[in-house]
Amino acid sequence: MSDRKELTRRNFIQLVGGVGASLALGSFASLACADVALKTPTAGTGASFAPNVFVKVDPDGKVTVTIICPDAGQGSRTALAMLVAEELDVDWHNVAVVQAPANQAVYGRQGIGGSNTVRSMFGELRRVGATTRMMLVAAAAKNWKVDASTLKTSSGHVLSADGKKSVAYGALTAVAATMPVPTSDIVLKKPEDFKIIGKPRTRIDNPDVVTGKAQYGLDVKIPGMVYAVIARPPAFGATLKSFDDTAAKAVPGVLQVIQVPSGVAVVGSNTWAAISGRKALKIDWDMGPNTDLDSAKITAQLVAAVGPHKEMPEGAKTIEATFDFPYLSHATMEPMNAVADVHDDHCTLWSGTQQPTGAVGQVAGLLKLPQEKVTLNVTLLGGGFGRRLSNEYIIDAVNVSKAIKKPVKVVWTREDDMKHDNYRPAGHSALKGAVDASGSPVGWSHQTITAGRGGAGSYGNPDLSYNIPGAGMRQGGVRIPVPTGAWRSVEHTLQSVANECFMDELAHAAGKDPFEFRKGLLTNERLKHCLVTAAEKAGWGTPLPAGHGRGIACFEGYGSYAAHVIELSVENGQIKLHRAVCVVDCGIAVNPTGVEAQMQGACTDGLATALSAAITIRNGSVVENNWSNFLWMRLDGMPKVEVHIIPSAEAPGGMGEPGYPSVPPAVANALFAATGKRVRKFPIKLDELV
Amino acid sequence: MALYKINVNGKEKSVEAVPDMPLLWVLRDLLDLTGSKFGCGIGACGACTVLVDGVSQQSCQIPVSSLGTKKVTTIEGLSKDGKHPLQKAWIEHDVPQCGYCQAGQIMAAAALLKKNPHPTDAELDDALGLNICRCGTYQRIRDAVKAAAAGATK
Repeated sequence: MSDRKELTRRNFIQLVGGVGASLALGSFASLACADVALKTPTAGTGASFAPNVFVKVDPDGKVTVTIICPDAGQGSRTALAMLVAEELDVDWHNVAVVQAPANQAVYGRQGIGGSNTVRSMFGELRRVGATTRMMLVAAAAKNWKVDASTLKTSSGHVLSADGKKSVAYGALTAVAATMPVPTSDIVLKKPEDFKIIGKPRTRIDNPDVVTGKAQYGLDVKIPGMVYAVIARPPAFGATLKSFDDTAAKAVPGVLQVIQVPSGVAVVGSNTWAAISGRKALKIDWDMGPNTDLDSAKITAQLVAAVGPHKEMPEGAKTIEATFDFPYLSHATMEPMNAVADVHDDHCTLWSGTQQPTGAVGQVAGLLKLPQEKVTLNVTLLGGGFGRRLSNEYIIDAVNVSKAIKKPVKVVWTREDDMKHDNYRPAGHSALKGAVDASGSPVGWSHQTITAGRGGAGSYGNPDLSYNIPGAGMRQGGVRIPVPTGAWRSVEHTLQSVANECFMDELAHAAGKDPFEFRKGLLTNERLKHCLVTAAEKAGWGTPLPAGHGRGIACFEGYGSYAAHVIELSVENGQIKLHRAVCVVDCGIAVNPTGVEAQMQGACTDGLATALSAAITIRNGSVVENNWSNFLWMRLDGMPKVEVHIIPSAEAPGGMGEPGYPSVPPAVANALFAATGKRVRKFPIKLDELV
Repeated sequence: MALYKINVNGKEKSVEAVPDMPLLWVLRDLLDLTGSKFGCGIGACGACTVLVDGVSQQSCQIPVSSLGTKKVTTIEGLSKDGKHPLQKAWIEHDVPQCGYCQAGQIMAAAALLKKNPHPTDAELDDALGLNICRCGTYQRIRDAVKAAAAGATK
């Protein structure tokens, strides 16, 4: 294998046409797995053929794809392997995946966010598969002493031009490993020839998930490992004065109590011992400067930051509305956790994080170790939604392990997780619009003020899909001492929701049907097609039972287009959801069952945040502390959810986020259709409608 | 600390634990059965659902000292080969997203089908009404349980 040609990082980037640059989308965070390098890995075992860091073909024909992006439930381990398998031309049942540890030197920056996983790697991983296939073909051509261009491939075999000769990839591995890595004339399949891309493939981890074998960060156990929970400050800005650990140390199984930067860590021989020890801990906190902070005061500050609206044309009919949004917790099903084993000269970590290479950089900096001395094994993530973009739970584990000189698993309880999140910021949106005598919109002014992002902001791009002359949006911010971060759809959870609620109100002011009004003003044909499809599938305009209402809304972003129709009614003072029609155009749907799942999930998030979920601040702290008061959708509240995917040959768009922003406004607009009253505040309470 | 003999997945296990240690942590930390998940610690999310004498229970709410001779079944013991009709239905309907809550969902569904092989929609909603799926796989959970109940798995 000595003459195997190496692809350097630079010529790989040439090879993939420069898509390796990380994408900047103007969100709180935008990450891509795209910044990758294709270079020769350590030699494979036996006669396996591993021409690059992503793919290995074994003599028995088994193909292993290395997945460099964490899987937080978005299905990266399945969809990314599909891309390689398609161009390699192998049968899906012969494909397995391995999760790459964090390794910036080998893989470039690894991270998931901004709905980038599949779209950022769509070109590169197909090229990886195609390149590998070409080397196998070249090997067969050499063996058969024919021109490679006369050969074909199918189902993991190279075939002669007449189809009479056939050799399995597995029989070619040794020779293929001696072939040069092609760097030009890499031909990718035409979409009409796809056998795997665009065909639903159930998640590759399903068999492990349904038998309890799938391993998340919280499931990791290594020899000699102890367990820790951390008592954290009871208010934002509170600091530790002193603690008495006498009672905590008397709890059976408690091994040590130590101070760490995030609080006081109780170390035990098992999780329950650590939790019980923490309950017995007596801590004197300096409560800090924020104990007067509460949600009402935060809202008042946001409202006070609203400035003058843009001028509306004289003589036009104007309307105004405001929308209040609460903080939201990510509340991933798996609370934050990490395992760390810190030594003087190296550190080994296990965790489910959305930012593996970012975590390695942070830990290397903290421990003053070279990055190559920090190993991060990436487990499955029990949900991400943006929460696992920050790595403070890994830092917790590193700090505790360093102090006690033992491997440790730091567990955040649900209460820790919910009261110490980086929340979707609270926000206040103020909108003003105008329609002329013919019912055409002639003015649009939008201000969204968020808690946690400073800055006055001036009017700029309206982030609006409709053609409204003079439309503008101002994104303002008020610094509030509550930590915030990216939450599925990020700023669009606020401003796009406000847009689509207000669009409905403007339609009403214009005396027009909210669907027809939108349709007439949309400029993007793909988005318009989604809207029209949603209306058709939902039977827009057809009679409904008394008391029922339908609401419609749409969204474009992250390279995809979506529209929703929600049908609901109000019965016995309660909102009852009947039907959710979800439509998406995400370009080529690499794995349609995964696309459908993302739409179902985003719909659920939209319903929960429209109707029940909120984080409340009181006395400088978060009130909600568990699933009993952070109210999420459960099976019995769910409507029938239908997903329609628009067929497309366009390049893939993102799927994690685009399915969220049009759901809450579709709920609010349906409620107006059912009751004649408008939503001014999320989550929606019937007695707060106006 | 005391020594408890408990029956898990048909085998008798000895564990040394404090009396109030919840079954969840006994399973996860002492017996290395990590299929049952920690999601809330207060019996409010269903991620830790196991069967106790065939009945769906939240293992985070069961002190080990209260178990006695009751038989505990976890996701690891639901079937010998991973081929319980619900496990097959879960794969075929591609239910899991992050997958973290799914063991609890399956165990709650298994308890339901055991006592009520053909549940109505309302009975299904009621039996799985505690179990949160933060990824929002509810539509597929419904579809999969119905398929398993109908004997429609391959």
